[in-house]
Amino acid sequence: MARRLNWEGSRDCLRRLREDHVRDSELVVRLWEECLMNYREKLGDELWTVYEQVCIAALDCQRLDLSEICLELLHNKFPDSVRVKRLLGMRYEAEKKFVKAEEVYQSIIDKDESNMFVRKRLVTIAKEQNDVTKAIDLLNKYLEQFMTDFEGWLELCDLYLSQLDYSKASYCMEELIMSNPHNHLFYQKFAEIKYTMGDAESMAMARSYYAQAIKLNPKNVRALYGLFLSSSNLAVTASKGGGGKEKQNNIKNAAWAAQQLNERYQTDQPKEMTEETRVVEAIEKNKHPGSISDYFTEKGDEFTREERCQHYQMITCLLWQ
Amino acid sequence: MTKDEMTKVELGKGRNYIWPNSHALIRSRLLRENGKYIPQKSFLMRKNFFNDSKEGYFKREKRETAAKNPMTDPSMMTDMLKGNVTNVLPMIVIGGWINWAFSGFLTTKVPFPLTLRFKPMLQRGIELNSLDASWVSSVSWYFLNVFGIRSMYTLILGQDNAADQTKAMQEQMSGAGMMTPPDPNKAFKAEWEALEIVQHNWVIQGVEDELVDSHIQPETIYIKNKYA
Repeated sequence: MARRLNWEGSRDCLRRLREDHVRDSELVVRLWEECLMNYREKLGDELWTVYEQVCIAALDCQRLDLSEICLELLHNKFPDSVRVKRLLGMRYEAEKKFVKAEEVYQSIIDKDESNMFVRKRLVTIAKEQNDVTKAIDLLNKYLEQFMTDFEGWLELCDLYLSQLDYSKASYCMEELIMSNPHNHLFYQKFAEIKYTMGDAESMAMARSYYAQAIKLNPKNVRALYGLFLSSSNLAVTASKGGGGKEKQNNIKNAAWAAQQLNERYQTDQPKEMTEETRVVEAIEKNKHPGSISDYFTEKGDEFTREERCQHYQMITCLLWQ
Repeated sequence: MTKDEMTKVELGKGRNYIWPNSHALIRSRLLRENGKYIPQKSFLMRKNFFNDSKEGYFKREKRETAAKNPMTDPSMMTDMLKGNVTNVLPMIVIGGWINWAFSGFLTTKVPFPLTLRFKPMLQRGIELNSLDASWVSSVSWYFLNVFGIRSMYTLILGQDNAADQTKAMQEQMSGAGMMTPPDPNKAFKAEWEALEIVQHNWVIQGVEDELVDSHIQPETIYIKNKYA
């Protein structure tokens, strides 16, 4: 920070971070230590909320000394509070005392069955210990009761992806699509999962959902690449079994996606960069479906689990460019 | 049990009773409204989860009617009565005192003539047929002030101030009715019916053709020469 913030500025900053659920822990700790710490008495009742915020931020930054102070003050003020107890559990987590943390959380759940935060903390403990199966199990039990926690669904989707369980991951994504059918990123992710599953039906599904993502956001380059890849893949597989019209359609789709990409590269970046980018040429070369997707389809049937995973990452890398 | 304790217990009950049910209901509603965005297979799978005639969620989860009707529970009934009596008694006493203290006087006269219809409003406590309607009796003046001063309070003290007691009175009146939460089984049945008649109509069908054939990207029209 170039200029020193006054205390009102930093208070407002913390307030905004709190309200928007932004987790910029380093900033929080810095604001507290450099400024607000000396103006404690001016904060009034807000002080306690700030203490809670700083405590969590300190745990994120492994500043156990700072979190210790906050926790003690909060505990003295609210000896029976569940929220303070949760902080205590989180501190045990930060110290990697998972058994103790679990005990604390369990005691909270015994008192209040419907405490969502604590149940999610239990999932994170399993995840921290790299016990993904247990995390999945706990999260499933949690979602059985809190079916509308869509962050939970997203997390479960990622956990399943890390286990290469694509059909279950796609189930979670469907849930998210239904929660907000106007978010193009959900469609895109769903399509990517389907693409990775790789059989003909999933591939067609992937193409459709990539198209939907593009429809919602024409600037989604990743989805454009996806549409290009899935369409050309379908065109090639179709040629094996015949089905001329279907093939024509797919070639048309792929060509369209390639053209869109081309235009995007030419309009969205300055000329010098376009000359450096080889993507346009590569697409031009591969516009005739076959070459780029040959690699995928030739081996398509004999992919093992690990190869699929690599494949998934490869596409992801390719698309992230 | 004090009143605060009672409300706490009731709140706790309400929360436990509400959470799993309402989540399922919300999810089922989302499925009905946005199910068209997911593939048919997935839609049917979910519909089955909720509505299957044997194993379906709405069939399986038979919740006991957690919230007892307060009218059938005698102990609750007496509690409520006690609460009401303690609230009503002072009001009766105060009302009686006001009637006794203020009746029989004329306080003021409105500076314009009024018709006979205003007599019961402005001359409560005075039964004189021959008196002109523009005279105001003290009891009427008292009530006019009590009810008229509310807008003054809001003007000076702002909305929802503590001096305004009519709100609290209204809450007491309707409070008894509000306490009974809706019957979960009824809500489940309604949701089951609504979900049963929903047909899956996949809207993603043919999006890619639509995109390729007819959809003109807006930027290609307007922004093409933006940097030229």
